[in-house]
Amino acid sequence: MANKSVWSDNRFWQRSATWVTGFASILLIWLTLDTSAQISMGNDEDLKNGVQKRVPGPTVINYKITYEMDAKRGHEVPVIGEKEKFFGRDDYSEEEAGALLHLGKLGEQAKNCMDCHTILGNGAYYAPDLTKAWIDPAWGPEGAMQALTGKNTKEEAMAEFLQHPDQYPTHARMMPDLGITAKEAKGLVAFLKHMSSIDTNGFPRNFGKMQGAVNGK
Amino acid sequence: MIDQAIVHTEIALDDFLPIFVSSALVLVFGGVYVGIYTAVKVKFLKPWAMSIAYLFWLLTAYCLYVMGSLMHVGDFTAKALVVAAIGLFLLPFAVYYMQHQVHEENEH
Amino acid sequence: MANNHLTSESKQLATWYFTFAAILFGAQLLFGLVAAIQYVMPGFLYGLLDFSIARILHINALVVWMVFAMFGSVYWLLPDETGIETVGIKIGKLIYWVFVAAIVVVVLVFLFIQVGPADDTTIWFITEGREYIEAPRWADWGIVVVALTFVANLFLTGMKGNRSGIVTVLMADMIAFAGLYLAGMFFTDNISVDQYWWWWVIHLWVEATWEVFVGAIAAYGLITMIGAHRKVVEMWLWIEVAMLFGSGILGMGHHYFWIGTPEYWWEIGALFSALEPLPLVAMFVHVLYDWGKTQGAEAEKGNTRSVIKNKPAFTWFVLNAFGNFLGAGVWGFFHTLPQVNLYTHGTQFTSAHGHLAFFGAYATILVGMMYIAVQGTNGIKVLKNTKASIWAVSMISGGVMGMTVALTIAGYVQVLVSRAQMGATWAAYFDGQSGAWFTQAMDWRLIMGTITFLGFILLAKDLLTTGKNPVHER
Repeated sequence: MANKSVWSDNRFWQRSATWVTGFASILLIWLTLDTSAQISMGNDEDLKNGVQKRVPGPTVINYKITYEMDAKRGHEVPVIGEKEKFFGRDDYSEEEAGALLHLGKLGEQAKNCMDCHTILGNGAYYAPDLTKAWIDPAWGPEGAMQALTGKNTKEEAMAEFLQHPDQYPTHARMMPDLGITAKEAKGLVAFLKHMSSIDTNGFPRNFGKMQGAVNGK
Repeated sequence: MIDQAIVHTEIALDDFLPIFVSSALVLVFGGVYVGIYTAVKVKFLKPWAMSIAYLFWLLTAYCLYVMGSLMHVGDFTAKALVVAAIGLFLLPFAVYYMQHQVHEENEH
Repeated sequence: MANNHLTSESKQLATWYFTFAAILFGAQLLFGLVAAIQYVMPGFLYGLLDFSIARILHINALVVWMVFAMFGSVYWLLPDETGIETVGIKIGKLIYWVFVAAIVVVVLVFLFIQVGPADDTTIWFITEGREYIEAPRWADWGIVVVALTFVANLFLTGMKGNRSGIVTVLMADMIAFAGLYLAGMFFTDNISVDQYWWWWVIHLWVEATWEVFVGAIAAYGLITMIGAHRKVVEMWLWIEVAMLFGSGILGMGHHYFWIGTPEYWWEIGALFSALEPLPLVAMFVHVLYDWGKTQGAEAEKGNTRSVIKNKPAFTWFVLNAFGNFLGAGVWGFFHTLPQVNLYTHGTQFTSAHGHLAFFGAYATILVGMMYIAVQGTNGIKVLKNTKASIWAVSMISGGVMGMTVALTIAGYVQVLVSRAQMGATWAAYFDGQSGAWFTQAMDWRLIMGTITFLGFILLAKDLLTTGKNPVHER
């Protein structure tokens, strides 16, 4: 009989598997604690004081958001600029903005957005990515969508499109009418605007480069 | 201004195809290496085939190098790739050694 | 099945699970075809069964049929492994019907109600709208109850009977499997937090607990089908657990590159992603090694007969080792590093990887288990390949491979046009979708999907007619 080797001992491998799994799990939990702190939502104070949060508070909808190259980090980051009107106001309180975002996030789930679109790059690939949809040049003053929907601002054009997507086809692949109400549309646009302010480590790259990136200041 | 040294590197348009091909080949060649190694050990193939196995490992390592340099991976990822290449090299040895030990202990 | 050779109630229940799994497998392919047609003809069923609904049904049927087949596999192997009848089998059977009924209700709601107003009622009763786990909240709780009952059956049986290494691994794995589902059962306004925990369910299921489950089933399969040495197989299983959990748990990092999470996940994701293929390669070698050894040992005794007692099942198991390596390994690795994932994330590349990996890593081995169940149910000693079984396996695997290649080409077009050149805007997206290479690829995907579906029909036919087929040795 050959010598008993530790490498062929079942108990040894059972213990190794347990230790490896335990160690990896503890590391993951520790990283989760750190990440959770870093991706918790900021608040109005942070925005007023210029404190940068990876996920800003809901009142970010009161500000202009652009996406600019950061030389230090080597990729684009969202930049929160001066005040900007959102459906005619730039003084949404923490509660008001929070309620809009809440409605928008519920809407994003209730309408199954992720089963055609990608959000933060996750979801289905049947329709455009919505991560930075808010700063897409197509919805800006030079883009086609404001003229198409007959609206003068980005948020109104988006809200109009969301309520009657089948009336404004941009491609043979049309978005169906999902029964989105005017109120829900407003919430969804707030959700999109908020999402565009999330620091996604430079995803997507070169967003809007061909049309000339939107400049903030 | 040390931080400015981090240049923003972009993958050249023409480099995407070589990147995808080489990274796919990493595992294909790697799999062939491990496959031939095992096949020789269980006597499906003659011993001389082992040199072909090592040749495939070299190809794997080369593909990893091509992939990594075209992607402009950072220092850390470059090290991770080297570790992966060495890990792949040792893997069949370890597997075979352990399997063999157990068989010896249980069947003789 | 009238002339039933099963004496164990646990195995009886397993066949129920396999049957419903096979039906859902068919449904998955059918709704996949609808979605594939919509890529080619966008007007198809527009307003009736839109792409989003077809896709929800496609991916949820996928997850659920696999869970059903997994539960079935466990109920099947428990009596063999523990040497006793499964404890609490009556409750197990009751829960089966609860599970089936709940799924039928969820599917009908998805089909006919589809979406709801933006409020909590929708989240609780219509859809949760989170990819793969769209099932409404009430169904989530149902799934938790079902999973806990299943885990209880498994634990009580494992503790009462002979607790083999395979059963021990399954016990640990299934409790993690059930527990992780809880991470997907809450609502938050913060989309980054939402996605962070969503991956705990999706990644830790698919790339950790399911993979370990496959390792355990493969171990059982090698012992039953080719008579591999139990101690070798079980030791190997522990090594696999160590490798899979060791690389898979932190491999989570590759999903945390772009969802708002800090940059350190780039390094973690890159390192563990580079390691993740190693266990897959090792699993492949292991099957080859055991086959060679067992056949070699028989040859020494002057026995040239094949050691394989179930040819179709073994074919599917080998395909699993190969498919896992190809789908999860090769197709996963080439877009996993952050430098390139920046461009490939959220393109058809992911979809190509998803198709081949789910098929290669899970569908194959679960179909293999169905063949083992058919063999046992009909009391067959050596189950042989039939024309239908060979055509089925060739058409299904060829079809999936074809779809994968087509989607990879489509993804490549998207990366170049929509991402690298035009920067991922609305206009960039549709420019990429309109290219000739992309639309051609989508045509081919539909053709290959149809072949897969036809292959499935042959598979169903083969599984259903095995009992009456005289070619098998009894």
